[in-house]
Amino acid sequence: MTVQADGKLSRRDFLRTAGTGVSVITVASLLAEPVEANEAPATSPWGVLIDLTRCTGCESCVLACKESNNLANPEIVATSLDSDAYSCLETHSLGNGAVSYVKRQCMHCLHPACASACTVGALTKTAAGPVVYDSAKCIGCRYCQYACPFGVPAFEWENPLGLISKCQFCQTQLGQGQTPACAAACPNGALRFGRREELLAQAKAQIETNPGRYVDHIYGEYEAGGTSMLYLAGVPFVDLGFPELGSEPIPHQAETVMNQTPAIALTVASLASALAWFLQRRKKLALVPVETEESR
Amino acid sequence: MTTLTANRNRTRSTTLSPTAVSLSLLALLTIAGIWAGLGRLLLGLGATTALSDGYSWGIWIAFDFVLIAFAGAGFTMAAVTHVLHLDQFRPALRPAILAGLMGYSAVLLLLVLDLGRPDRFYNFMLYWNLHSPLFEISCCILLYSTVLVIESVPFLLERLGWSKWVYRFHRLAVPIAILGVTLSSLHQSTLGTLYLNMPHRLDALWYTPILPLLFFISSIMAGLSLAMIAYAVSARILGRETQPETLNGLARGAAWAALGYTLLKLGDLWWRDQFPALFSLDSMSQLLWLELGLGALLPALLLLIPAVRCRPAGRWLGVGLILCGILANRFNATMFAQTPPPGTPAYTPHLVEWLTTLGILAGMALAWYAGVRLLVIFEEKTERKLSS
Repeated sequence: MTVQADGKLSRRDFLRTAGTGVSVITVASLLAEPVEANEAPATSPWGVLIDLTRCTGCESCVLACKESNNLANPEIVATSLDSDAYSCLETHSLGNGAVSYVKRQCMHCLHPACASACTVGALTKTAAGPVVYDSAKCIGCRYCQYACPFGVPAFEWENPLGLISKCQFCQTQLGQGQTPACAAACPNGALRFGRREELLAQAKAQIETNPGRYVDHIYGEYEAGGTSMLYLAGVPFVDLGFPELGSEPIPHQAETVMNQTPAIALTVASLASALAWFLQRRKKLALVPVETEESR
Repeated sequence: MTTLTANRNRTRSTTLSPTAVSLSLLALLTIAGIWAGLGRLLLGLGATTALSDGYSWGIWIAFDFVLIAFAGAGFTMAAVTHVLHLDQFRPALRPAILAGLMGYSAVLLLLVLDLGRPDRFYNFMLYWNLHSPLFEISCCILLYSTVLVIESVPFLLERLGWSKWVYRFHRLAVPIAILGVTLSSLHQSTLGTLYLNMPHRLDALWYTPILPLLFFISSIMAGLSLAMIAYAVSARILGRETQPETLNGLARGAAWAALGYTLLKLGDLWWRDQFPALFSLDSMSQLLWLELGLGALLPALLLLIPAVRCRPAGRWLGVGLILCGILANRFNATMFAQTPPPGTPAYTPHLVEWLTTLGILAGMALAWYAGVRLLVIFEEKTERKLSS
């Protein structure tokens, strides 16, 4: 009988094994504790204020982006983000013949869902502002594409060993005290590089002094918990294809659950161990009197 | 060894049986799948899939999530027999463990095809992101696959008659089962957590903070259902009788899990004020009614009626509906209930995606069949050997 064979696993053996499992999980959970490392940086992160009312669609920024990042097809100005285009220029008709141009690129969220979701931590938020990508870690799982609320990360579909590509806020230039390529290239002052807090203050002042020019909304101030890229526009953002997002950081809910992982593991392991021991013992004890009764 | 010869004789006498035909078909599908898979690895995702930046997870990932739920057969049966010590379910344990092992092997193969850099699959072990649901899922799948291998080794050892090693593995059974239950609870629920990072994409009828719990419970109803099928099919293959009380009990367990799942899901929709959307009967609400009404509530009610549950036709209808419901649920969450960014082209799976998926499924079905034939899947023999 298997039951009896099972019974040969002595309580001490069993407790030892279960105890080892539980302590391994406890140690792992202690190691896993210091996950909340994303504290606010001492200085405000870098940002870019993109004033769409000043954009003439001259394409300088997108071309400078291609050149600065050594991207393929440097002469083609993309109309949507892809693996050859970290930034693109969209044209939105506003009716009555008017158009508005929208330069798009990574928003460099303050709480980036891509970085939270990335299996291998290839995407990280730096204190200076950029959300950077380490292609050496990436396994190409493409979860970031689902987590990003702006549809930014692009995959190299034509590459048999495909990776992700996205705007990195010219982090090398940033480290050398230089302006990102797009902002440096803009001839119309539509892209203003600076500290996010200062840009926000300037944007608010601009809206106040030019009430007819702008809608009263700085896109990126609160969206998805705030972004480093901030937009001003003359028409509602929803008409320009911007997603309507709440102010809760996207990764918040998943992280709340993920932080419970050690607790869940510990609970299930101890509950299952206790149940297994108790029920096995009950069965073993139940076997004895039944047998003696029958033999009598 | 006598069984083996008997089996061999039976196979020979029925060469052109439906079994032989279906085995040949499975073999053909496997070969086509290998060929298509090699094409995918050589040519890349762009040339061999219909995936795009907006729909970058297709049927490979959807089937992965379906298979993980189905392969929950392994951990649910291990929990029932080794944690809860319910001996009447013991006959269904081994076919379920073997099916679980094949399920997870298929998942790993599909993942290799889906990854942009399959050559670097091991990176998740080197670079940890503790916030990432996919990191946790990857770790758990790897560890749990190892658990399933350890749980399956005795099936071979018993066939070989290495009783000393059989005994050693036997002593490990309970702790290993507890480890497997823990790992499964983690990653089955984390598959739900995975979608919590997509509030902007996933329809509100599906997106809820309790997704982890819903995924966990649905893996139990899927696991018990698949365990029943694995048990019945392996018994048919080996020409054995199934124990009615085993199938009955499992059907009852699956029914209660499905009922609990339905009530939890409805309660959640009520709590989040989604009833208007649920009864709007637009395309999203229809999808949900298909998976929830037809795939969980109806089979739960069917299987809770003893007269239905005890008849093979009623039982298999209920179990089949549950499995279809899980299939629909995982596909809805991954594809149909998602809104990709504007401008995303529609996704119609490429032929290579279908061939590889079917090939992997067929290959695993063949491997499971071979396992049932060659390993000790029905325990009565072993127990006699152990006690003698």
